Amino acid sequence: MSKVKVIPCSGIGKVYGLMAREAALTVTERLDPDATETVCLAQLVTGTDEAIAKVKGLPCITVDGCPSLCAAKSVEAAGGLVKQQYRSMDEMRFHKGKHAGTATTLTEEGWQIVDQFAVKIAQRADELHKEETANG
Amino acid sequence: MADQLVGILACSGEECLGGTLSRLATRRVMEVLRPNRAVTLCLPLYIAGGGEERNFAKAYPVITIEGCSKHCATCATEKFSGQVHDIVDVAAILGAEVALSKTVSGRDLTEAHQDMVKIISRAICAKMDAIV
Ligand code: SF4
Ligand code: SF4
Repeated sequence: MSKVKVIPCSGIGKVYGLMAREAALTVTERLDPDATETVCLAQLVTGTDEAIAKVKGLPCITVDGCPSLCAAKSVEAAGGLVKQQYRSMDEMRFHKGKHAGTATTLTEEGWQIVDQFAVKIAQRADELHKEETANG
Repeated sequence: MADQLVGILACSGEECLGGTLSRLATRRVMEVLRPNRAVTLCLPLYIAGGGEERNFAKAYPVITIEGCSKHCATCATEKFSGQVHDIVDVAAILGAEVALSKTVSGRDLTEAHQDMVKIISRAICAKMDAIV
């Protein structure tokens, strides 16, 4: 049974890209390493056979920073099945007035937001993993 | 031209330490070492964005910062935008074993990781300064 791919955009210009990256790594490295894993998005962008083999036909969750949805579009272009899209920017609605940090580092508040976001992503990944397991 | 803007494109790979270092070194160059000379772009915007992003390598000499020898930022840039001027390869500088080791979150960075970021960011600056 393949793991659910959790793929962030890792955008480098704003805090939202960093939040997406850290939320995805929190899921794959801490919360649910047995059922999830990440994939280098830049490798998918190259479109090589090796890269496409990592996601083609497989369940993926994308975690983008902003409405450009770079991860979702790149994963779809590589043949991955995007079962759920998230945007870290949207999470800020639940944390009005908080300062998450910069594109380089997160504040303590930023880490709290990321941790809550990661729990949400991990729950969805768990559902998808169970569906996959049930479908064989 | 010492004020020539240079495009710095990190692979920001998620699967290994090299990708994290590529990203942190790029941020250090942008914020601390060469704040007025470096411009960057979210790499996956080549697919998601429009024509403007695809002109990046035509508008600036580009140095790609690669986490490992797969050189994804270079491949993506040359596929969608144009020739890359130079490459900084974390694996070539720190060794493949270090570059391909387990990825590290920002919350787990050690002093040793910060030293690696400094080494890579200095390598980026050396290549930037060679562009005249
Ligand atoms: S989704 Fe937004 S933050 Fe993420 S890589 Fe694209 S442009 Fe950058
Ligand atoms: S160059 Fe290596 S670390 Fe960077 S995105 Fe490609 S496979 Fe990942």
